[in-house]
Amino acid sequence: MEKTSCGFGAILVALAGALPANAKDQPDITMAINQSPWLNSFVAMVDRYETETGNVVNLDVTPFGGLLEKIRNSVRGAEGTYDLVNVNALWLSEIYSGGFLAPLGEIRAGYALQDGILTYGATTNWDPAVGSFSADGALMGVPVNGNVQVLYYNQTVYDDLGLSVPATWEELYSNARAIADATDMYGFVPRAARDSIVYNITPYIFGHDAAFFRVTGPGQAAIGLNTAEGLAALNAYLRMSGKDVAPPNPGAIAQGELIQLLSTGRAAQAIAVIAAWGALENPSESRVVGQMSAALIPAGPGGTHASSAGHWVAGIPRNVPADRQAAALAFLDWFQSQDVQVKYVEAGGVPVRGDLAATGLGANPAYRFLEAYSANAENAVMGLPFAAAAEASDAMALHFNRAVIGEESPETALNAAAEALAGVLERNGFAVIRQPDL
Amino acid sequence: MNASIAPGTTARRNRRWLVLSLAPVAAFFLVLSGFPVLNLLGLSVFNVEWSEGAASFSYVGLENYRRLFLQETIYWAGVRNTLVFAVGVVTCQMVLGFSMALAVNRAGTAGRTILTGIFLLPIVIPPIVIGTMWRLIMGREFGLANTVLRALGLNEVDWLGNPDIALASVMFVDIWHWTPFVFLLMLAGLESLDEEVLDAARMDVTGFWQEVRHIILPLMLPTIVITVLFRIILSFKVFDEVYLLTSGGPGTATEVINFSIYRTFFRQDQVGYGSAMSVVTLFAIAFMIIVARGLLARSKRAKDTE
Repeated sequence: MEKTSCGFGAILVALAGALPANAKDQPDITMAINQSPWLNSFVAMVDRYETETGNVVNLDVTPFGGLLEKIRNSVRGAEGTYDLVNVNALWLSEIYSGGFLAPLGEIRAGYALQDGILTYGATTNWDPAVGSFSADGALMGVPVNGNVQVLYYNQTVYDDLGLSVPATWEELYSNARAIADATDMYGFVPRAARDSIVYNITPYIFGHDAAFFRVTGPGQAAIGLNTAEGLAALNAYLRMSGKDVAPPNPGAIAQGELIQLLSTGRAAQAIAVIAAWGALENPSESRVVGQMSAALIPAGPGGTHASSAGHWVAGIPRNVPADRQAAALAFLDWFQSQDVQVKYVEAGGVPVRGDLAATGLGANPAYRFLEAYSANAENAVMGLPFAAAAEASDAMALHFNRAVIGEESPETALNAAAEALAGVLERNGFAVIRQPDL
Repeated sequence: MNASIAPGTTARRNRRWLVLSLAPVAAFFLVLSGFPVLNLLGLSVFNVEWSEGAASFSYVGLENYRRLFLQETIYWAGVRNTLVFAVGVVTCQMVLGFSMALAVNRAGTAGRTILTGIFLLPIVIPPIVIGTMWRLIMGREFGLANTVLRALGLNEVDWLGNPDIALASVMFVDIWHWTPFVFLLMLAGLESLDEEVLDAARMDVTGFWQEVRHIILPLMLPTIVITVLFRIILSFKVFDEVYLLTSGGPGTATEVINFSIYRTFFRQDQVGYGSAMSVVTLFAIAFMIIVARGLLARSKRAKDTE
């Protein structure tokens, strides 16, 4: 009897632990999300939210390649399937400008992001009058993964060769040469495959005070690519892709190959997304656990630092009922708190706050990337802040990639990329100011 | 009673029966093939944009076609590569598939079972597995192929990263993947040949090669033609291998038509322009098939007259 009573008590305690701390006060919601390496950390936060609040968030997990179509199909219908959609930085302008998302201020009057949340170049806000991101525009979503680029370097190699963290592109190249000359490692790995080169070259372009284009007024754009600064940026990129420091045929290196080269110790430096950190620190995937460090991406001649924004923003579609919109916002609001973000990092996620280095996490060697992450996130730029970003990216990517594989000279590549970009801008209603050919 | 029905009435009834029996098939064709093509044609003269959650269609006439023919770069690189790809892989697959079918056809029962099992293996593997598998084999740094080359003291090859050989590498994978399909059709063709006819014809030839050239190949011609047409159509539809192995790069070295259309339609969401690409591709392939069939029919007629 005694035994039975103890067992019954234990079951009650276990059940109490499994039950939510608070009663459910929101309807169930469904979120479309990508199957990325950081997904498990997000799932852990969803579990935590459900335990704390009793509310339910269902995740419809889709591989990256298919997520955009699922989002389009849902938000373009009369009634949406998803109450929350996870939108990649490259798709933000399309989804915002299409008017598919409800501004958060319309769901909860006066709603604003919590202090400390990063906006990655104001990409959480959209100004329809300008047709671009703007801090003055309406708040459209909440970042859920801050996947910006950082400079990765192998600290052990740096220590062995007496190298210091590079502050400029020149110093980065010098380090790469020193590593390539003194070891059998590649000094640097560019991510120069056609599909990813625009994302990868962005820090070089903006770090050299160039730009793909600049919005000069409502419906007006000036090309900033085929300029002296743009040429210096592309030359810097090509130098970091050269045979003396980089693997052969870098024009075919995508993110998978880049992480593979770093994690196997075949390469010592790269500019890559912070989400790669988990793979580099995972003993079952990496031979360089504990050896890698992250740093601020080098600055150009004018001292400008830049990082490509590759983050994810969760938005709430217009075409779902108001109670589910409110439930979705309740979850996003909960997700932003510093306490949750600390747990998110501990679960392997990339935070969306810039103030976590000041918490206990900053002193923990396991999270030594945080300071570099926060600094790069502050410099994050959206290189193509308009609705046809994907088309513009593909149009320019061909020429950058051809420059890397030697099919076009840097000048030809920049002129051709600039002309292709101007065509895309004009087709999308911009009056374009072109630069004379280099 | 039957004698009282006029011949004209029978013909009318036959025609009516013909129309009625074909109507479901015609309707089926119209819904599943005709309507999508017409829809594609319609979309190709519009630009579709989204604002405030609703689509707006703006009529642009032939602008999408003008842009495709006068300004497009990547699609036409894809056309060139697809033609090279189709001719190259179909030729190799036909030669290999026919040879393999001949070998199996002449093997004993046990050999036939074993060889058929081995030869058919690639075709039953899902394309995603094939892409992953060959990407691992052909990887420059850690791939099996280069590991073997290094072990033999040879220089490594960047199978997928070198623009000069990337297309050939993708073609190699396609040949490996689809040769079993050709083999299967060729084997079925060979096994359906009349043994008595073959035995009689063998009296007039000396040796295996003469038999293949003068007896088997002519008898197999209908099967060969159908197989070539099948494979050409399928090779123009190549997508998965390119998507998984190279994504069309480096440069435009492995760009193919379908990948350009996919990127335009889905990644860039240019529905009108993507439709124009699809229409041009569709009619170009249809035209090529009609021309090929016409040429074959003419050559058959010429032979029959001889």
